[in-house]
Amino acid sequence: MSIRRYLVLILLSIITLVTFLAAIQGYKASMEQANNLFDEQLQIMGKTLLATSAIYNENTLRRSLDETTVVPSKHIAYQLFNNKKLLLRTDNAPKKSITQLSSGFTELNFLGQRWRVFIESSSIDQPHHIHKKVIVAQPIKERFSLAEQVILSAVTPIILVIPLIALFISMAIRHALKPLTVLRRELSEKKINDLSKLSSETTKTELQPVIHTLNQLFERLSSAFSRERYFASDAAHELRTPLSVLKINVHNLHITQRDKLDSQGQASLVQLAQSVDRMAHVVDQILTLNRTNPDQLTMEVTKLPLKVLLQQVISDLYPEIIKHQHDISLESQVTTLYANEFALLTLVKNLIGNACKYTPNGGHILVKTEVDEQSFTLIVEDSGPGIEESEYGRVFDRFYRVGGDSHQSTVVGCGLGLAIVQHIAKLHSAKIILAKSEQLNGLKISVNFPKKTMGENT
Amino acid sequence: MRILLVEDDMPLALGLQQSLRHEGFVVNHVDNGKSAISALSVPDQDLVILDLGLPDIDGIEVLKRTRDRNLTIPVIILTARDSLEDKVKGLDFGADDYLVKPFEISELLARLRVIERRLGTAKSALIICSDVSIDTAAHKVSIKDEEIGTSKKEYMVLKALMENAGRIQSREQIESRLYEWGEEVASNAVEVHIHNLRKKLPEKFIQTVRGVGYTVNKR
Repeated sequence: MSIRRYLVLILLSIITLVTFLAAIQGYKASMEQANNLFDEQLQIMGKTLLATSAIYNENTLRRSLDETTVVPSKHIAYQLFNNKKLLLRTDNAPKKSITQLSSGFTELNFLGQRWRVFIESSSIDQPHHIHKKVIVAQPIKERFSLAEQVILSAVTPIILVIPLIALFISMAIRHALKPLTVLRRELSEKKINDLSKLSSETTKTELQPVIHTLNQLFERLSSAFSRERYFASDAAHELRTPLSVLKINVHNLHITQRDKLDSQGQASLVQLAQSVDRMAHVVDQILTLNRTNPDQLTMEVTKLPLKVLLQQVISDLYPEIIKHQHDISLESQVTTLYANEFALLTLVKNLIGNACKYTPNGGHILVKTEVDEQSFTLIVEDSGPGIEESEYGRVFDRFYRVGGDSHQSTVVGCGLGLAIVQHIAKLHSAKIILAKSEQLNGLKISVNFPKKTMGENT
Repeated sequence: MRILLVEDDMPLALGLQQSLRHEGFVVNHVDNGKSAISALSVPDQDLVILDLGLPDIDGIEVLKRTRDRNLTIPVIILTARDSLEDKVKGLDFGADDYLVKPFEISELLARLRVIERRLGTAKSALIICSDVSIDTAAHKVSIKDEEIGTSKKEYMVLKALMENAGRIQSREQIESRLYEWGEEVASNAVEVHIHNLRKKLPEKFIQTVRGVGYTVNKR
């Protein structure tokens, strides 16, 4: 549940609950007040009636009130007795006395209704024949409905205004949470490897430290990442220069001392040169493996002319190929492929390099491409010994070499080539398939690039 | 040929100087960018071998300032930076070649010789591959010291191949060499010239790398 929804719901519930409680309390209190007020009215009316009747002297009273007078009334009923003789009544009051009580308030039923009744009698010290009693009654239902009308018209607006309050609260909360919404959107749209600062700015004191801390974190992360990335190139420089020195000195030694050395010395020199080459290769492969690591490589995908790229790699590797007296051929139509240039060059270089290294001298290497609707496949076949099917799964492990330590020591390698190839294939969502070459009897390695995802990447 | 070697790593500089001097080059060595720029203000160098990771000014900056002053002196970049961007940047700023450490000294020498011939400062104008030699000064081709006749275009094709002996030249690369000479090139021109050259040259001298191009072996 979002904070906004939670706040709106909880605030509305509280407001509704409190309003109703207040309304009920107000209703109760108002009702009591109204009751007192009505009682007071009854009392005043009774007393007034009694007092008015006393003004008249006995004769007048007898004459004018000789016959029971009926006063039309809708609401309040009353009876006026003199010595238990009915003098005056309203038309909604019975002829008989409603109650035997002589004074005070009571509630009783007559004529199918419940009434609030006030009784008052003239004092006993009056002459005997003029003992007067007045009974005033008001229907309780009426008192209620009157009171209710008044109270409801006071309470109703408060209840009616609740939806309006809801609207305002919702708007206020939405406005107050806007910086948070903006931040949320920016964070969710941020790419996983985008470590740039957040552009959201806020004046809200609660959010400022959050954004500040996040930005600091991003900054530290990105500097850590770039340190890691630069570590590779720093290491490259640190290792490559001394390796160059080694190579040059071996070369110089070979040139200047060749004739002075005996056969053993010469053999040592060749060994030295080979070891230096091997070291250079291992360093190069480790750095490449690092650089093509999917976490490290920032993939810049471009449209690459595939045939030209393959020609370039074969040309680059040609001195090595000719050293092994291999025959290499390329069968490729002109195609373009969306890929990272460095990664694809490295992949092709490793595949052809492997074929060249592991095929006995004077072998055949075939590089070809196959294009269909959905995918594009790069295939390298050789006439070498191939790889046992049981080893297919393991050759991609780092530092794994077919045959383990008994590997031909003359072959320069470190067991990283196919691990690198796999990294790069993964980066391009490509599949690697190992098989036996039917044409050349050696290894056939195919890298299948999906066309669709490649195009979409751009 | 006089070479200015700009390299801050002393052991590497010493080793390189020894190799280059042994090959008959005159080498001047400086170990920082400022000295390189001031050395280049006097026109007594024929070529620069430039390391990019210099202690004071970056090698690319040295290259840029050199080119800004309209100096056309050939520059070979020698560096530990092997990313494609670095390479493209180096070549864009006008480097003639780009070698990544650790490099094969023979590769460096081959590239130096190509530039040397281009500058016309080579002691010998001869390029020799096994029995075949071409005299780049006289534009003549000989087999075992016996001169054979070639057309101008055939000579260009052969020169391109022999200058890059041991490496593959694609049809497009050879074509672009012919274009440089302002020739109209028909679509199958290279194939025709190669075919004609093969008839005149020893068997298997020019080899075809199917799908890639042509090559001539070094020895």
